[in-house]
Amino acid sequence: MERETRRKLQSAVALVLSTLAALFGLFWLVFILGSVLVHGMRALSPGFFLHDPTPAGIPGGGMRNAFVGQLLITFFATLIGVPVGILGGTFLAEYARGKRLAHYVSVLADIMVTVPTIVVGTFIYAVMVKPMGHFSGWAGAVALAVIMIPVVLRTTENMLTLVPWTLREAAFALGAPYYKVIIQVVYRGAITGIFTGVLLSIARVAGETAPLLFTSFNNTFFSGNMNGPMASLTVTIFQYAMGPYDDWHAQAWAAALVITFAILVVTVVGRMVIKLRYGKK
Amino acid sequence: MNIDMQIKGLNFYYGDKHHVLQNINLEIYKNTVTALIGPSGCGKTTLLRCFNRMHDLYPGNRYEGEIIFQGRNILSRETDLIDLRSRIGMVFQKPTPFPMTIFDNVAYGLRLRGIRKKSILSEKVEQALKHSAIWDEVKDKLHQSAYALSGGQQQRLVIARALAVEPEALLFDEPTSALDPISTAKIEELIDGLKENVTIIIVTHNLQQAARISEWTGFLMLGELVEFDRTEKIFTVPKEKLTEDYVTGRFG
Repeated sequence: MERETRRKLQSAVALVLSTLAALFGLFWLVFILGSVLVHGMRALSPGFFLHDPTPAGIPGGGMRNAFVGQLLITFFATLIGVPVGILGGTFLAEYARGKRLAHYVSVLADIMVTVPTIVVGTFIYAVMVKPMGHFSGWAGAVALAVIMIPVVLRTTENMLTLVPWTLREAAFALGAPYYKVIIQVVYRGAITGIFTGVLLSIARVAGETAPLLFTSFNNTFFSGNMNGPMASLTVTIFQYAMGPYDDWHAQAWAAALVITFAILVVTVVGRMVIKLRYGKK
Repeated sequence: MNIDMQIKGLNFYYGDKHHVLQNINLEIYKNTVTALIGPSGCGKTTLLRCFNRMHDLYPGNRYEGEIIFQGRNILSRETDLIDLRSRIGMVFQKPTPFPMTIFDNVAYGLRLRGIRKKSILSEKVEQALKHSAIWDEVKDKLHQSAYALSGGQQQRLVIARALAVEPEALLFDEPTSALDPISTAKIEELIDGLKENVTIIIVTHNLQQAARISEWTGFLMLGELVEFDRTEKIFTVPKEKLTEDYVTGRFG
């Protein structure tokens, strides 16, 4: 009897502690999102999206250049990073399955995922910006792509490994060559998982500042030229938040709100796709 | 009775050390059902997978001897595996529908062979589904995912997929061990009807099943073919003591 009471007590204590820990975490999350929302709404206006920045100290202006720059850099990063990541993951899961090489590359990719992104930024600075002699949108895109590749590669590898081996054998038994087995059967079975990985990797790099500081740098003017320095939301937020003007601070909040919201949308869409695909059964 | 496949002195090795099949000799007769029985690990599935060279997918496997099918040794290096596998289909233990619609599943092998015309595809898909006794259950949902079907239906769908390319032989690797008794009965009935057109080799753990559906039975143990004979002989008057012990349930 006494033992039972003690167990119930232990259970209650564990429940209270874990609930408190969850509430603690949730509190800060809501607090951060709440302040971003409250502060960000103030500077949000159509002009914020449609105008370029005014000279420092002069009120008004928007962040059109940074929005366009962010979209271009992220777009090209995706264009480079996703195919490389998917093909690399396919190689590891299919052609090099069980080989030592695959194991080493996987471990390497895991290490790459945890490398501080500023290291990637300085690396690209050394191999691209320095030889080219100037900052550029391309360098920014490549830096983000380098961060994306290990994420997409590992997700692809994992998702392909989850497709039962017997499914491949069944396709082989019908006389399909390996590349058709992969494209027509294995990819179909893994497509939602890979797609989610791609979305999450985009969400991940879209919020990066450090790798862009050394590569695409910044630009106060509107520029669609990937070969020159280019503004991005994150670097602009960094610059504005550090600056002395209240107007800048307000705009930095607004930009933070927009980018948070955009990443939230991408992530939620990613999760919804999983649910649609796997939740119904 | 016509011989469809002749296995002569077949040895099979996994890597250098594992001599899995030892000097197997037997004949598979056309339009009959041949069952391969034996305790777990006896090599019956390994033998089955020699017939469509499934072992070639994995490095380090080696065959010796001959399997003569339609006048040619399918173990020879010149064998076109894609062609071989379209002549000898396979159905696995667990149903293996592809992640696509019911129609696309059955059409998969046809499309691999370059058949693109919608009318021909539809006709052949319908025919295969009818032969597999599943047409009535799926005819209104051909364009739904194959994963929506029950396990037994999936297994019949997979049989339809193998039949669609009109193979000459079908290999079954314990096709009912993951199914309930009613689905099992349907598959057995189906197999019985199929032998009109194809030669069937089936690996099974279920002795009653072997007795029910096969004309010929091979009993394997430790990689050797202990006895091969007409099914009723194997189950009533086996020549070997080992066979008798196994079919009467004294071990296994």
